[in-house]
Amino acid sequence: MTALLEVEALTVRYGGGVAVDGVTLRVDEGERVALIGPNGAGKSSIINAVCGLVKPAGGRIRIRGEDVTRARPGEIVRRGVTQVPEGRQVFPTLTVEANLLLGAYGRDFRNELVSATIRYLGRKAEIAERLERTYELMPKLRELQTRPAGQTSGGEQQMVAIGRALMAEPRLLAVDELSLGLAPLIVQGLTAFLRRLNEEEGVALLLVEQNAHLAFDLCSRAYVIEAGRLLLTGSSDELQANESVRAAYLGSGLEVA
Amino acid sequence: MSAARRLSLIRLALTLAFGAFAIWLPFRLDAGDRSLYTLMGLYAIVAVGLSLLMGFAGQISLGQGAFFALGAYTTGILIVGLDPDERLIDPGAGISPLLAVVLAPFFTAGVAAVIGVPLLRLRGHYLAFASLALHLILLAVLFAEDRFTGGQDPGLLVIERLEVFGRTVTGATLTAVVWGVLLVTLLLALNLVGSRAGRALRAIATSERTAAAAGVNVATYKLRLFVLAAGLAGLSGAFYVFLLQFLSPDAFPLFLSIQFVVMVAVGGLGSIYGAVLGAVAITWLENRLRDLGAQPELLGFELPDQAPQVFSIGVFAVILIVVILFFPRGLLPGIGELWRRVQARRPGSASVGSDPGRGLTP
Amino acid sequence: MTKFIQLVVVGVSIGSAFGLVGIGMVLIFRTTSIVNFAQGAFAVLGGLFMVSLVDDVHGLVAGTVAVILTALIGGVMGMVAVGFRNRTTALASLIITLGLALLVSSLNLLAFGDRPHTYPTIFERAWNIGGVFVQPQYAILVGVTLVAAFGLTVGLQRTIAGQALVACADSRRAAELVGINVRAVAVIAFAVSAGLSALGWVLLTPVDPVNYDSDVRIAVNGFAAAAFGGLVSIRLALVGGLALGILQQLVVGYAPGQARQYELAAALVVLLVLIGYRSRHEAHE
Repeated sequence: MTALLEVEALTVRYGGGVAVDGVTLRVDEGERVALIGPNGAGKSSIINAVCGLVKPAGGRIRIRGEDVTRARPGEIVRRGVTQVPEGRQVFPTLTVEANLLLGAYGRDFRNELVSATIRYLGRKAEIAERLERTYELMPKLRELQTRPAGQTSGGEQQMVAIGRALMAEPRLLAVDELSLGLAPLIVQGLTAFLRRLNEEEGVALLLVEQNAHLAFDLCSRAYVIEAGRLLLTGSSDELQANESVRAAYLGSGLEVA
Repeated sequence: MSAARRLSLIRLALTLAFGAFAIWLPFRLDAGDRSLYTLMGLYAIVAVGLSLLMGFAGQISLGQGAFFALGAYTTGILIVGLDPDERLIDPGAGISPLLAVVLAPFFTAGVAAVIGVPLLRLRGHYLAFASLALHLILLAVLFAEDRFTGGQDPGLLVIERLEVFGRTVTGATLTAVVWGVLLVTLLLALNLVGSRAGRALRAIATSERTAAAAGVNVATYKLRLFVLAAGLAGLSGAFYVFLLQFLSPDAFPLFLSIQFVVMVAVGGLGSIYGAVLGAVAITWLENRLRDLGAQPELLGFELPDQAPQVFSIGVFAVILIVVILFFPRGLLPGIGELWRRVQARRPGSASVGSDPGRGLTP
Repeated sequence: MTKFIQLVVVGVSIGSAFGLVGIGMVLIFRTTSIVNFAQGAFAVLGGLFMVSLVDDVHGLVAGTVAVILTALIGGVMGMVAVGFRNRTTALASLIITLGLALLVSSLNLLAFGDRPHTYPTIFERAWNIGGVFVQPQYAILVGVTLVAAFGLTVGLQRTIAGQALVACADSRRAAELVGINVRAVAVIAFAVSAGLSALGWVLLTPVDPVNYDSDVRIAVNGFAAAAFGGLVSIRLALVGGLALGILQQLVVGYAPGQARQYELAAALVVLLVLIGYRSRHEAHE
C-alpha cells in the first residue's frame, strides 16, 4: 500500500553543518505519528523539508507515491499536506476569519496574484462551506471571527493556526511543537481535538514534539530523532517500554515544557 | 599557550607586519599613486568604523560622508580662523592644525551622540534615511552658509600644513601618518572585539533579544558604535584637509556616503580587515572607472560627457546588488563560509541547525 | 492672504505627489517588510518618461504609458529586492533597493543627461479662483491621490488579495506555508507602488522638474511622509506628504533670502524630529 507520506534518506544542510542526516520515515493514511527528540535535533527541519520551505540536499520525499522533493510549498498544500508552524505564526493584523480564508486562498496560488484571486472567487461557495465546517469543528473561532488574530491568546492562536491549515482540506496535518508556550489544560484540549479530528475526519497527523508524554499519548507510532539522525522507531507502547527512551524523554513522569 | 591565544598573537603579528609595510610604502610611490594611496587609507579608517556599526549593531549609516565632511570642515574652519563677531575669516583667530585635528573627531562624535540617541532605538531603516537626511542637510548648510564655509565658490582654502613636534607633515610623511593612524585604529578595533565589550557586541549581533535578556544594554552599545564610527569618520576627514588643501561641498557628495556602505558591504560586515580591503578595492575601482569613462571612446563606442559618473555609479550599483544577494555578510566572510561548507561535505558531521545570525570575523 | 493660499495650493499639489511616494513605500513595507530606497527613482522615471513622450503623443496617452512602463520596471526591481528566502534579510533588501536606485540613476544620466527636464502643462490655462491660480493638472493629481489612498486602504483591508499581500509581511513563513508565492506578491506590490509614485511626477514635473539625481530628495521626502504613519498607515502617509509639501512651500515663500535653500532641510528636520518622537513609542526589535 502506498504510504501517504514517505521520506527516504533525507539530508538537509544548514549554514556550515548538517541539520538532518539520512532520515527515513513514513506516515500512512489516517495514522498519528510523532517525531520526538531534543531541541535542535532537526525535527522541524524534517517537516520544513516535507512542506517545501527548505530544499533537501539529498534524499526523496513522496506524497502518495508522487515525488515532491523539490516542490514549492504551494504544491505540497495542493497535494494534501499542510503545516501548523512552530509558534503558531498567525497573521496578527488580519482578523481570525481572514486568517482562515487565506488557508484556502493559498491552495489556489500558483504563480501570481491575479489568477489566484480569480480561482478563489470561483470557489467562493465551496470555501464558504469549508469555513462553516471549520467553525463547527472549532466553535471558539466563530466567536473570534472579527478579532485581529494578534489579539487572541496563545491557545486561541493555536486554534487559528490549526483552522487555517485545515481550510486547505489536507490529508496530513504536520504540527510543529503544539505544546510550546501553552498551559497544560489548553494543550489537553487541543490534543483531544486533534484526536477527534483524526478519528472522525481521517486526517493523518505528523507531530513534532519535545514533550514525549504528549507524543506517546496522542500518537500510535513515533520516531526518535537526535542530532539529525533517526535513532529509534516503533509503536508508542514499544518506545515507552524502552529503557533509554524512558531515561532520556520520560524522566520521572513530570511534564517538561 | 592555547590555540585561540596563539591565533590572536599571529593575527597581531601579521597586522603589525602589514602595518609596517603600509607605512613604509608611500616613500616608494610617485606622487600620483601616493595621493590615491592616501585616499585609500583615509577611506579605510571610515570603513572600519562603519563596518563595526553595520556588523554588530545591524544599522546602516548613509551619513558617514557627512561626518567625514564635518570633520574636514571643522578642521578647516578652526585652522583658518573665524572672528565670531564679524563671522568673517580672521586668520588671527585660527588654531594650530594639530589641535584642530584632535578636536574635530570629538565634535563629530558629539553631533552623532545627539542624533543617535533617538535614532538608534528604532529599526535600521530609520537610521538609514535619517543619516541620509543628515548628509543632505549638511550639504545645504555648507552651500548656504558660505560666509563661514566658503560655499562652493570660493570654497575654503587651507594652506597651513600639519605640524607635529616641529616637523611639517606633508607628502609621503602625511601618507605614512594616515596609514599609521589606520594601523592604530585596527589595533584598537581588534582589542575591542576581543574584549568583554566585544563579546557583548557579538551577542547583540547574533540576537538582540537574547542579548537584552542576558542583561546587555543593547541601546547603549549601538549608540557607542554609532558615535565611534562618526568619530573615526571625523578624524579621517580632518586629515583629508591636508591632502586636499581646499574644501568645497562638491568634494563631499552624497555618493561618498554610499561608497562607504559599498566598501563595507563588499569587504565584510563586522570584518575589520574586510573593511580595509573593501576600502582599498573600491577606491581603486572608482579611480579606474573614472579614468575609463574619461576616455573619448571605448570599444568603438563614443562615450558621452557623463560617462565617468555613469560608469562609477552604475558599476558600483551592480556590485552592491550582486554582493548583497550572494554574499550577504560581505565577500570576505562569504568566501569563508563557502570554505566551511566545502569542509562540511563529509557524511556524519551532524551539527545543531541554528541560525548563523550576524556572525563575525575580525 | 492670497499669497498664503496660493502657497498652500501649490503645497497641496506637491504634497500629493510626496504622498503618492509615501503611500508607495507603505504598500511595499506592509507587504514585504522592505523599506524601498528606490521609491524616488520610480517618481523620476515617471517624470522622465513623460517628458520624452509628451511631445509625440497626447498627454493622457503619454502619462499612461509612463506609468505602465515604470510599473513594469518596478516589478522587476521587486523580484531582485526580495532576494533569496533564507538568505536575504530586510536590511539587506534595503541595501539592494539602494543599489537599484543608484543603477536607475546612472542609466537616467546616460539616457537623459545631467540637466533638469520638464514639459509644459497639458492644460494651458490655470483656473483663477478669487485671485488664486489653480492648475487643472495639479487638481487632477490631488484627486487621483485621494482616490488611490482610499482605494488602497480599503483594498488591503477588505479584499482577499489585499489580505494576502498583508499576510506576506505579517509572517512570511506562514504565508509561504499556506501556499502564497511571496516573491510573486512582492512583484505586484512593487509594480503597483512604482506605478503610483510615477503617476505623481507624471503630473507634477512642470512644477518640480526632474534630474537624474532627483530620486534621493524625493525618496527622503517620501520616507518622511511614510514615517508619519509609522510606515504602516496609508492615510497618515498622505497626511504627512501634504504637510511636507505645504511646509516646504511656506518656507520658500516666507523665509528671508538665503534661508530659502533650506526648504528641503526644513522637511528633513521635521523628519528627524518625528523620528525622535516615534522612538519613544515604537518598541525596538
